[in-house]
Amino acid sequence: MTAAGADTRMPPSMLLGVLAAVTAASFVLSLLVGPSGFGFGPAGEAGTLIFWEIRLPRAVLGALAGAALGLAGAALQGYLRNPLAEPGLIGVSGGAALGAVLAIHLGLSQAVALALPVGGLAGAAAAMLAVVSLAGMQGGAVTLILAGLAVSAICTALISLALNLSQNPFASVEMVFWLMGSLADRSLTQVWLAAPLILVGLALLLSVGRALDALTLGEDAARSLGVDLSRTRLAIVAGTTLAVGAATAVTGVIGFVGLLVPHVLRPLVGHRPGLLLPVSMLGGATFLLIADVGLRLAQPAVELRIGVLTALIGAPFFVWLVLRTRGELTP
Amino acid sequence: MALGTFLALTVAYAQDAAKPQRIVSLDLCTDQILIGLVERRRIAAVTHLAADSAVSATPERAKGLPITHGVAEDVLRYDPDLVLVGPFGVSATVDLLKRLNKNVVLVPQAPDLDGVRASMRAVAAAVGEKDKGEAVIADFDRRLAAVPKPARAGTVSALIYQVGGTVSGPGSLADATLRAAGFHNMAMDYRLTRGGQAPLESLVARPPDLLVLSSGIGEYRTALADNLRHPALQALRRSRVSLELPWQLWLCGTPEVAGAVEVLAAARVAIEARSR
Repeated sequence: MTAAGADTRMPPSMLLGVLAAVTAASFVLSLLVGPSGFGFGPAGEAGTLIFWEIRLPRAVLGALAGAALGLAGAALQGYLRNPLAEPGLIGVSGGAALGAVLAIHLGLSQAVALALPVGGLAGAAAAMLAVVSLAGMQGGAVTLILAGLAVSAICTALISLALNLSQNPFASVEMVFWLMGSLADRSLTQVWLAAPLILVGLALLLSVGRALDALTLGEDAARSLGVDLSRTRLAIVAGTTLAVGAATAVTGVIGFVGLLVPHVLRPLVGHRPGLLLPVSMLGGATFLLIADVGLRLAQPAVELRIGVLTALIGAPFFVWLVLRTRGELTP
Repeated sequence: MALGTFLALTVAYAQDAAKPQRIVSLDLCTDQILIGLVERRRIAAVTHLAADSAVSATPERAKGLPITHGVAEDVLRYDPDLVLVGPFGVSATVDLLKRLNKNVVLVPQAPDLDGVRASMRAVAAAVGEKDKGEAVIADFDRRLAAVPKPARAGTVSALIYQVGGTVSGPGSLADATLRAAGFHNMAMDYRLTRGGQAPLESLVARPPDLLVLSSGIGEYRTALADNLRHPALQALRRSRVSLELPWQLWLCGTPEVAGAVEVLAAARVAIEARSR
């Protein structure tokens, strides 16, 4: 970063304030848009129902899932010092989807509703541990992506196996739901199930900001500044697992948000991975809310899937990122 | 007396000899038509779906019949002299069976009530039971003709809303069933001219006069069924007329479609009486 670039940057409190306002505006916009028309729903009982039971849960889940994915992406990239780290790419989202599928198809979520998000975060945790033990916490970018690819492939295979064995006539459609997530027609029931766990995860991830800033000076310097590295690692693993696991259990896999958002917003914060955390959280929420509004405006009568849109935007960005970092990636 | 019975059986058997005697069906829909047309001993195998009460309209009649899993090798085990396949048959399997000179008859999916008659005629001709087929069709037409007609067609609306928000649009048998019962299919009003997923918000904003849900679907463990438990749908069901109809009745173009038309038409008559 040049000195001139640093001068034009907003002070952190102002940046966060502006982003929070943009997120709040996106949230309100999401409440205003729907197939029955612009505004807070039609008058009368139907309008009340549409606002409280359909649009509100959708907006809340969009904001929470986007925040979870954006923040987890920023935390993973900061801690692993790896530009390609992202919950979707490293298999955490796939693990979460597998855990949720198992919770549903083994009948656990019918017996105890909380089994669904718990299944999601158990799957996310298992995937996270598998990737970290395959690639190592300090493994190179390529090793991490390969390990993530392997874990994702295993999760996808196990999801299709579970759906095949369940013999339900909707298995193939459900596969699409889990691989290309959706915010459509979610209810407050799902919000109540997932939101507390997502919020705990977000809090854990936000708590590592100072440690990530110190880590830019190297591990020894960070330690001398009083950073407990094993605690930081635990907070990131647990936070990602909770936030992404619980969100994915109710929305399916929404890819590339955790990759795209921190990269786009990084120029705003310079080399301060700690500040990038809240910035990416707000940015992720805004991105998902706006993308979801766009879907509903473009094609109000047919539900397009949000995961399709984020992949359409995110995958070309991923290609660009690979091209840009090719020099660094080649061993 | 005993001799007479014996002679009658022998004569019947001689007539039967020209008809296929080891029939394999590879499609849920042909399974059901077949079971209704021929004696059990002539059925070599049907699909596992035929006895599945979740999708088959006549599961009890398929109980005990041998089951095929539809791959060519499995079908050949039965040395069939007739293989009935539907449009969803695996084409590689069908090609292989044809190359092996097996008598394969493709029965198209019924898109409407004429299609139902055509399916039944196709199966009846293939199994050599044309007269029985015509009798079944005549009974089907009799049941449809007995259904009360609306004063003005298409003034009462209905929507078939399924797992994952899927609704049936024009060109589907379900749509034809709705129209035969005198309804206007609300899917058109949601701009779903070919069916698809209807957002719950559209349903709540412009509800149909009759909401048709599939019964028995809740048994499936699938994330897609969340829409059927949605509080907004529950509220809609409390304030509007809704009906749970076994989707087995219109899943296939079998004579059971007439049963679906009867149930739907009765619901329409009740709605008309209420609004009068």
